[in-house]
Amino acid sequence: MTMKLDPRTKLVMVLCITTLAIVYNTPGALFLLLAATIGLLLLFRINLIRVMGYLKPYFMLLLVLFLAQCIFTPGGEVLLAIGSVRLLGTRGLLMGTTVVLRLLIVIAAAVLLTTSNSRDFISGLVQWKVPYEVAFMVSVTIRFLPIFRDEFINVVTAVQLRGVELKKVPWGQKIDLFRRLFFPVVYGAIVKAQQLSVAMEARGFRAYPRRTYLRQLYLTRWDYGLILVFPGLTLLLMGLHMRLV
Amino acid sequence: MTGRDTYIREEAQYIPARSSIGEAGAAFLELSQVGFSYSGKRPAVLSGINLTFAREGITAIMGPNGCGKTTLTKLMVGILSPASGEISLEGRSLQEYTLAQVGRRIGYVFQNPNHQLFCSTVEEEIGFGLTHLGEEPAVVRERVDFYLDYFELSPYRDQFPLNLSYGEKQRLAIAAVLAGEPGFLILDEPTVGLDIYREKLLEEQLHKVAELGRGVVIVSHDNKFVSQVAERIITLENGQVKWDSSWRGNNDHEA
Ligand SMILES: Nc1ncnc2c1ncn2[C@@H]1O[C@H](COP(=O)(O)OP(=O)(O)OP(=O)(O)O)[C@@H](O)[C@H]1O
Ligand SMILES: [Mg+2]
Repeated sequence: MTMKLDPRTKLVMVLCITTLAIVYNTPGALFLLLAATIGLLLLFRINLIRVMGYLKPYFMLLLVLFLAQCIFTPGGEVLLAIGSVRLLGTRGLLMGTTVVLRLLIVIAAAVLLTTSNSRDFISGLVQWKVPYEVAFMVSVTIRFLPIFRDEFINVVTAVQLRGVELKKVPWGQKIDLFRRLFFPVVYGAIVKAQQLSVAMEARGFRAYPRRTYLRQLYLTRWDYGLILVFPGLTLLLMGLHMRLV
Repeated sequence: MTGRDTYIREEAQYIPARSSIGEAGAAFLELSQVGFSYSGKRPAVLSGINLTFAREGITAIMGPNGCGKTTLTKLMVGILSPASGEISLEGRSLQEYTLAQVGRRIGYVFQNPNHQLFCSTVEEEIGFGLTHLGEEPAVVRERVDFYLDYFELSPYRDQFPLNLSYGEKQRLAIAAVLAGEPGFLILDEPTVGLDIYREKLLEEQLHKVAELGRGVVIVSHDNKFVSQVAERIITLENGQVKWDSSWRGNNDHEA
């Protein structure tokens, strides 16, 4: 597969992956998601070793985060202790693993964005030398996702309050329902994300200059396919996770 | 009943209001000693709430920003679960109902219309509940037309709901819930964003709903609106019931 995908398609894919990373909360599921994301990176012919090299400085941070989660999360069985001082509990280990896996997924997904050979992505994103932009992008993604999740939860609540027993709707209808809900949810989330970014800019936050582009982007069949399949799959997985389906 | 409530009740000579709020058997929705806080650490948003809602009558809940009105209504429909105390609907614990089962008994209009509109067109939004409850298409169509017309949304029939103006969204949210013709209605600040004329329309509609023997609870800051529609007024303050006009069994609107 030679991937010359539109950056917008990649963005959709990244958003889907990160949504799942936030929704899932067990190491097993997160690990599978990470594996799938890395598989995707390989499909995109990304040189993982080089990426690792770029990311080395951040691994320290991850390690620190992991240890902090492990040590400061109480509960579970004690695994390691010095005298009576507990160093490591099962719950801590679980939390630490979860957090680190989540971050790794978000980072791996963000790497996808760097594969765009059109220059429509902020050049700083492509050039790892400018970590500030990367951090910015990732932080925006992370900020965006809770909005998306809230939006999803709101809609699911609202649908049920109108008397629809989501769990009992037959499969065919359920797919149709989710298909119809998908657009409004995404639109609502986008409107809110726009408000967020306007609010950020209004308070003087500026990551890069506003630009207009002469070149038009065109979506290919691959793009359309992926833009449909990814969110569909994500919604399905989320539904499965929340036991709605 | 806590000491505090009992004390007030004795002082105020408890007589049921005209909408026969009183007999335990007649209660539609009953909250006893309900407390709630968002995530364990935070201070309680609501505490020691004892309230009974009859199947009929219009009740208003008032109180300053952040006193917990929205939280209270969300507890009443089971979007949130109480941290302490018990809520019962038609004599059974609310916990035993699914959200959809509650939704078929109680229509809930969110404070923020953006949180409850999810269809691709205005028409679909109003018909959604009916369609999914298996109503005949002809019946759905008739009901949808009526509410489109009543709330003057007909010109927007095919519009995308989230693109409407705030007041239009609010009307649509109300219409969508009313179209399901639930036996009990809870509206969280329904008059916000409505102009005077539309507010009047809503008032009339609520009176009509009440005349059909249905119960209505509205959360509102709008003194005038409340005094026009409500026969019972509950005031919250700091997460507790400060005043309930049914304590005295009269209709004064001093809140
Ligand atoms: N999702 C939430 N997470 C944490 N705290 C919340 C949440 N929602 C509300 N609160 C807090 O709970 C308190 C009560 O909120 P609530 O929305 O019930 O107030 P309200 O009486 O409806 O106010 P308003 O008149 O502004 O609508 C507030 O202090 C608010 O900050
Ligand atoms: Mg409120």
